[in-house]
Amino acid sequence: MFTNAKRYIKLYGMFLSHYLKAVMHSRTDFIIGFLAFFLIQFGGIAFIALVFRQIPDLLGWSFYDLLFIYGFANIPRGIDHMFTDYLWLLAGNVIVEGEFDRYLLRPIHPLFQIIAQRFQPDGVGEVIIGILLVVYASIKGGIIFSPTKLLIFIVMIIFSTIIYTSIKLILSSIAFWTKRSQSILFMFYSMSEFAKYPLEIYHKFIRTFITYIVPFALTAYIPASYFLGASSLFKSLGLTILISLTALFLGLKIFNLGIKNYESVGN
Amino acid sequence: MNEKNMIEVHNLTKTFTAYKKGKGLAGTLKSLFKREAIHIEAVKDISFDIKPGEIIGYIGANGAGKSTTIKMMTGILNPTSGYVKVGDYIPYEKRQENAKHIGVVFGQKTQLWWDLPVGETFAILKEIYQVPDDFYASQMAYFDEIFELSEFMGQTVRTLSLGQRMRADLAASMLHNPKVLFLDEPTIGLDVMVKERIRKAIKDMNQRYGTTILLTTHDMSDIEELCHRIIIIDKGKLLYDGGIDTIRKEFGYERKIVFDLRYDDATLVEQTLETLIPSVDGCQPDNTTYQLSEGQLTVNFNRNQVGVSGIMNFVLSHFNVLDFSVQDMDIEAIVKRF
Repeated sequence: MFTNAKRYIKLYGMFLSHYLKAVMHSRTDFIIGFLAFFLIQFGGIAFIALVFRQIPDLLGWSFYDLLFIYGFANIPRGIDHMFTDYLWLLAGNVIVEGEFDRYLLRPIHPLFQIIAQRFQPDGVGEVIIGILLVVYASIKGGIIFSPTKLLIFIVMIIFSTIIYTSIKLILSSIAFWTKRSQSILFMFYSMSEFAKYPLEIYHKFIRTFITYIVPFALTAYIPASYFLGASSLFKSLGLTILISLTALFLGLKIFNLGIKNYESVGN
Repeated sequence: MNEKNMIEVHNLTKTFTAYKKGKGLAGTLKSLFKREAIHIEAVKDISFDIKPGEIIGYIGANGAGKSTTIKMMTGILNPTSGYVKVGDYIPYEKRQENAKHIGVVFGQKTQLWWDLPVGETFAILKEIYQVPDDFYASQMAYFDEIFELSEFMGQTVRTLSLGQRMRADLAASMLHNPKVLFLDEPTIGLDVMVKERIRKAIKDMNQRYGTTILLTTHDMSDIEELCHRIIIIDKGKLLYDGGIDTIRKEFGYERKIVFDLRYDDATLVEQTLETLIPSVDGCQPDNTTYQLSEGQLTVNFNRNQVGVSGIMNFVLSHFNVLDFSVQDMDIEAIVKRF
């Protein structure tokens, strides 16, 4: 088991070093992607700033609170984006074109092969922006990070990332039955935008939906509200861990079930 | 159960279920609620055993079920009924275990990573299959000898020519010294020189390590040069399983001439063709057949009973011939005869 894990880590390193080399080669591509991303983020922050020009606070949340949540949301999203971007292709043409065959012919888990197949540097920008916003909002909003709090922060980010990955895994695995599932994946993935703002501003139905059904609320608002003093550690961290592990379990189950159902294609 | 078999296939059946799609918007809406299932039997009740070290030609027309069978033997597909055993494993139940001991090449599609250089591909495969360092070194030297890999070691897979890619794919499938090699159309689209090299490598691998090899092909010379035994399937059913000699005796003297003709009136050509069998020496309906389609006339005949010159004379004197070629009988034609 342990040697197996070592082997997987070594393999991932080999793939990663190759992609980093490839990124270096196409630097313009990387810079353009990076710039485009900063523009999008700038738009989002400008929007929040604009709203707060008009109203001093939103249901008791200050501008810096919102910035903190917004920044937090970017970190797990960015990490997931870096490492599991190939799931979008699994939901796209991989199954319909019979490309999945090759992953079944190698003596390592197909999911590992899919994840190792791609590294998306765009995600790095999201993580950097997220960290900058969280730091800025903490300083301005008077949130003090003790070493324990920092540790809790990191744990929450890890489990929030698992939620992102699991939701993507579940929705892209649907393609094993439907051949393609990119549109349904896109539809649900867009809901992660909701998580960038406090849940209170939404209708109860949406609140329940993004907490328990497609649990994006646990990737930003719920964990972040612990740091803003709006929620207990037990509730924020406990719920995040519980739901992320449930989602991961479901994701792996559905993925493995999908493999059994995989029908390949004719030549 | 015979302990000595490397591959056992028993009553193997694979049925695909598809759903009929309605026509137009109304039809699509209707099929949302009521779907009509169509069952396609790709493989029907096939059984055979393969001994270690055998090279088997697995042949049939397009869509006969060859690839589906291979996909069940490699663990990609689950059979609908029946079972497959490769070495010690049921491939679709112990997929990853089975994968350690087999090598697979699909001629139509590379198994390698498009974006990786060939050299890195092998380094990664070494890790995936946990190939020991010294064996890896000797295998790479061996591959360089038979496939001349160093020619394109630094190129990415995406930039390889078809022949180079096939060499890389074959070497990749053999790196971990698998007990069984499944080669689905390993020579498709390659020129004669590359084909020859690939055949040599396959033969060499078989003699050197006693590798059991199952290969599908449309090329009769692949079969003649490599296989001791062939299995023919058609429409998912087993047609023939036996030595190559029977086939050679029966079809070895079969030749095919393809003519490109220029004509205005196809019916006139058809009428003239009806006099071919009666007027050429030795021609009988059971040893000569012909077919005309879109300006191409194909004549199949037995070289032992009918002279090539007789047929050539007849066609050249009656029609305006643009081009012609003499070929061995192809596999499709053999399958049709069964």
